[in-house]
Amino acid sequence: MKHLQSSTLQLRNLTKRYSSFVALRDLDLDVPSGSLLTLLGPSGCGKTTVLRMIAGFLNVTSGEILVDGKDISRVEPNFRDIGMVFQNYALFPHMTVESNVAFGLKMRGVSKQEQATRVREALEMVQLTHLADRYPSQLSGGQQQRVALARAVVIKPKLLLLDEPLGALDRHLREGLQSELRELQQKLGITSILVTHDQEEALYLSDYIAVMNQGRIEQLDSPIALYDRPKSEFVARFLGVPNIFDAKIVTSNGREATLSLGGQLIFVSDAEGQSAGADCKVSIRPSHIEVVGADDPREGISGTVKNMHELGERVVYRTEVNGLLIEANAPRNNNRDRYAVGKSVKLILDPAQTIVLRA
Amino acid sequence: MEATNDRAKYLIAPALIIGLFIVAAYSYFGLSSFFVKGPPGSQFAGAFTLDNYWRVLFTGTNQSVLISTLGASFVISVITVAISIPMAMAIVRSKRPWIGTLIMLAVAVTFLSGGVTRAYSWLILLGNKGLINLSLVGLGIIDRPIRFLYNWSGVGIAITHYLLPFAVFTLIGVVQNLNVSVEEAARSLGASRTTTFWRITMPIMLPGLMVTLVLVYSIALASFLFPLVLGGGKVRMIANQIYDRMFTEYDVPYAAATAVVFLVSAFASIWLINFIAKKIKKAVS
Repeated sequence: MKHLQSSTLQLRNLTKRYSSFVALRDLDLDVPSGSLLTLLGPSGCGKTTVLRMIAGFLNVTSGEILVDGKDISRVEPNFRDIGMVFQNYALFPHMTVESNVAFGLKMRGVSKQEQATRVREALEMVQLTHLADRYPSQLSGGQQQRVALARAVVIKPKLLLLDEPLGALDRHLREGLQSELRELQQKLGITSILVTHDQEEALYLSDYIAVMNQGRIEQLDSPIALYDRPKSEFVARFLGVPNIFDAKIVTSNGREATLSLGGQLIFVSDAEGQSAGADCKVSIRPSHIEVVGADDPREGISGTVKNMHELGERVVYRTEVNGLLIEANAPRNNNRDRYAVGKSVKLILDPAQTIVLRA
Repeated sequence: MEATNDRAKYLIAPALIIGLFIVAAYSYFGLSSFFVKGPPGSQFAGAFTLDNYWRVLFTGTNQSVLISTLGASFVISVITVAISIPMAMAIVRSKRPWIGTLIMLAVAVTFLSGGVTRAYSWLILLGNKGLINLSLVGLGIIDRPIRFLYNWSGVGIAITHYLLPFAVFTLIGVVQNLNVSVEEAARSLGASRTTTFWRITMPIMLPGLMVTLVLVYSIALASFLFPLVLGGGKVRMIANQIYDRMFTEYDVPYAAATAVVFLVSAFASIWLINFIAKKIKKAVS
């Protein structure tokens, strides 16, 4: 899918080295035109470093940053034609909303008349025309971030960089602004890069997600592919999979495989490239494990309920299976049986959702 | 809440007592300005009169000393703040921490040496056969020595040097409070470094700059030692005049009137600076 579209931004062997520490090593990345790519990772993984290098606020140690095929890695930030939205809004406190949005146009020598029109359009997009005369200090956090967004897109940049744009907002506001941001980005078709450590935000907003760890990209995929099929233990853990265990391949036909998990056999429907006898790791989300009574005729692994919590619409079981603690979710439905602590149960793992991770 | 307020009352009592003493002393000094010089051993005598104020405002060199004190202090303060901005920025923002430390040390050292020592050091440096003139002549940059001493230039240099730590240390806080992202936002929107500095950084720093300006201005106004040592009697500021009237002429009422006039004009000029600062702030935004 990727190679069919042209890429607005391409990173080639991008490296950032501080005297004794490599923040980023040989990063390659293509961002298809018009799409929103998220750099997702824990703090210190290098995602902000990438963003700041693209914006021109950090020097590149080596490598290239190509925008529309031209290397901009040595260009001053004011000539890069990139819009940026910061976590702390970074509005000009001594200017009105209108002047804030007009600033980039003024710097480009756009005529006063055109400035007025474009500023009004941009403020309409974020529904803030009525606040044009206010100062940033008179606005709420959400409003300030919308002004920042308008200010960044009004110059029609080639690229929009979003540095944890919703990080300073409370949960309720964040969700509202998320959908607004996504709508605006798609409507304008601006190629965008978002940096965040919030996986829900990434899954909601992105066309592609690059999970980063220690200055490298661990996995680049669409949000659904990433969620369903994490490739490494790091990605699985970062995306909140609690069940990650050591296992051993018992039999394999190149695609389907039988694994030994805590001495019991499980089936995996997609274990490509794994051969019998190899050690591996498996991950499975709690919602893909069914908890049934020990007398259930279906095949599964048996264990003992260690604890059980009823949380809103689901029931969470932690079950011990030969020393492993496996978490499973069941819908909280009054017609279903509950299994009390200490009870023997059988866990049925969905073979299609049991994932063999890269070592 | 009530309990803490109650306790606070007792806690401010010592400050209040000391404050009252100071106010009382100042008031007594101020009061003496409305009388005439008394016999030796007394502060003042005679009946109520405005004569001293008339002398201060309309006779001798009084007017010119007052105006030159206010004017020179202002110019010196503006120069000091202008020098301090890049210094504070270098201290806070230099990528190599040792540069900041070095500047900080250089500034702090001036704090550690006493006023008299410093005044005499400047005397040695700035004299016609001083280090600076000798080097400049030796290097062929100038033909004959520049006269720094016994005029405003030497006094101005010394006062600026004296004020620098006050300004730099105040501005360090101002620069630290700047949000770097705001400047980065301006850069990404197409503003050059220079444009960003003048249209974004400066206006945001302006309130802090004005506070600093008023601080160093009020310190500069009270200069006494540097005009005395480096001015050689030719550069006189108000503090020198008040001192002479107190301790050479023993005319306490005349000195008091000079002090009161000075105090009022100092407050008026500080108010004016603040007023203009507010106007500028509005104009910039």
